[in-house]
Amino acid sequence: MRKTADEQELVRRVARGDRAAFEQLYRRTAPWLAVRLRRRCADEQIVAEVMQETYLAVWRAAGSFAGESVNGTAVGWLWTIAARRLIDAFRRRARDAAVPLAAEVVAPAAEDEVLGEVVGDDVGLALDRLAPELRQVLRAMVVDGLTVRETAVLLGVPEGTVKTRARRARLAMREALS
Amino acid sequence: MARVVDAAEVAPRTYPWEIAATDLRVRAGRRMAVDGVDLSLATGVHGLLGPNGAGKTTLIRALATVLRPASGELDLLGGADVREVRRRLGYLPQEFGFYRRFTVREFVEYMAWLKEMPKVDIPGAVQRAIERAGLTDRADSKLKTLSGGMVRRAGIAQAIVNDPAILLLDEPTAGLDPAQRMQFRQLLRDLTEDTCVVVSTHLVEDVAAACSDVILLDNGRVVFQGAATELAAAGTAADAGDSPMERGYSALLARKGAAG
Amino acid sequence: MTTEWHASTALVRRYVAGDTGIAAEVEWAVEVHLESCAECRAKVVEHASVAPLLDQVWAAVEPATSAVPAGRRRRWLATWASPAMVPWLAMTVLVTLMALVADLTINNSYPSLVLLIAPIAPVAGVAAAWGRGMDPAYELVAATPRAGLYLLLRRTVAVLVVVIPLLAVTTWLSPVRWLLPCLAFTVATLALGGFVGMRRAAIGLVAGWSAIVVGPSLVAARPPAVLEPAGLGVWAAVLVLGACVVWLRGGAFNRLDLR
Repeated sequence: MRKTADEQELVRRVARGDRAAFEQLYRRTAPWLAVRLRRRCADEQIVAEVMQETYLAVWRAAGSFAGESVNGTAVGWLWTIAARRLIDAFRRRARDAAVPLAAEVVAPAAEDEVLGEVVGDDVGLALDRLAPELRQVLRAMVVDGLTVRETAVLLGVPEGTVKTRARRARLAMREALS
Repeated sequence: MARVVDAAEVAPRTYPWEIAATDLRVRAGRRMAVDGVDLSLATGVHGLLGPNGAGKTTLIRALATVLRPASGELDLLGGADVREVRRRLGYLPQEFGFYRRFTVREFVEYMAWLKEMPKVDIPGAVQRAIERAGLTDRADSKLKTLSGGMVRRAGIAQAIVNDPAILLLDEPTAGLDPAQRMQFRQLLRDLTEDTCVVVSTHLVEDVAAACSDVILLDNGRVVFQGAATELAAAGTAADAGDSPMERGYSALLARKGAAG
Repeated sequence: MTTEWHASTALVRRYVAGDTGIAAEVEWAVEVHLESCAECRAKVVEHASVAPLLDQVWAAVEPATSAVPAGRRRRWLATWASPAMVPWLAMTVLVTLMALVADLTINNSYPSLVLLIAPIAPVAGVAAAWGRGMDPAYELVAATPRAGLYLLLRRTVAVLVVVIPLLAVTTWLSPVRWLLPCLAFTVATLALGGFVGMRRAAIGLVAGWSAIVVGPSLVAARPPAVLEPAGLGVWAAVLVLGACVVWLRGGAFNRLDLR
């Protein structure tokens, strides 16, 4: 039997007003969320804002979240809340200044192959060979689960550009894998 | 959450305008309330102005797909089928009816269900919509305990819950005080980038502040369509009105009345 | 998966430090994995140096926890029967029970009142399922993708689920006598409602049935001929015809009816 409750169970307890459970949920998931957000946005202020809004939303709407049986991953839904809040923050800022994206993946270090960290094989190579802007779009859509419109806000490019890059990325991946 | 991206989602857009109407005629009761209207609206906030009985509500209803046009063409989102359009549509009617015993959250969740949003997304989207509409504190109060202005904000929340591509608001600021109207205009500005918003109102100053272009409707026909500044420029000191926009408004209506 | 892949501690350290040198596909794999693996997330907690950020955010979030979050209120019922329908269903139940009381107290040779009203029992509930006068959120609902025949039938099912068991319990006559007429009237309300509006259809059907069948039957103290088993064929035909009309006119139920 598991000693500690998993995140789903914690949310159920939060829905009943259990503040200790909420704090536990925070301690367990906030570091992960902070790291992930930081890898998408260089502005620490925005990251703090987004995290604040996310956990406030979890507290306030815990009843509804607990009620839905979230298929898939336990904290995936936490990410979807945070991702949408990140988009909203970018929308608010976009008018005033350019959106502060995180630093791009430059070149994969040689150690990765040595350490045997390379997971996939053909997929990995194809991904690495993709132009960075194409990879950015793919990551936003596939890993972060954003829609075309949201990706456009995140990357600060028009929707049409997002679509074009996504198509080129898919094409490139398909070619590389065939 | 990791997901698969299908080809349809990234296919290039085939339509230039979110809303494209050609010679649209819509009946309301016995008379033809919308009588030959041409529209091409892309993303941005479009103000729909006009005197009472001009056909604004009928036009908005036709755009919301709740009234079938009598004749003419109406292509929403490139002529997608009605159910698909409605999934990406947000509508707040002038007579906003609601279930009094529901809380704000329950009501917006119910509307999200009716809009066929994926069940998993509903709680998060509802919370976000409630926050954007400025109702965070009253999210779990029953609708019958809210003031008129807050009820209307709940209406706005249900309209934006599905992050619509087309947002239709019929007199959304009715009953809101000036501070709330400013908040509402801020919300509109946030939506401008990627949503086609049509706001029907008789308050000229709402239009001036928030809209990128203005459509002036009179007797079912479009009298003027252009930037808000052009509307202001159409008026002279001789026309009735307290602001340049109001003067432009009465000038154009009078001109149309004299000519037509 | 034969062997589960977990992110090694070294990799987690680099990920957490914001290392941009991690190969893209490794980074992706790590992120997707972290969403589902609590163990590796715990590793992140261990190695991440985000304490000041976490404290700052918690300081802002913690005060809000003095307000109790609302528990889960199930409004699932509203997806079957809209709140506007509930009073009409309640009225139907009440009237049926009153008819039952009347039946029990009055002379046995009198025609059963419950049987007489059985066919029109669902009409009020069905009429309240869709219509401007009945449902305050009518226009809002009409603009949604779920509006239309599917929603209407769903709500109709909710009405029948209430009415039919109620009738089965309150009348000791076999369902054969009243079930088919009951369904036929349900479908007729929908069919007529598509043409003249639900409220008018309901009023017309109820008034018509009362005047033509219920009244004379009570006056003559005889069960009505139309509810004899012999007439079932006619009811079945009405049911099928009505169903066809409803199917063909489905489009009327997702638009505004401005009458």
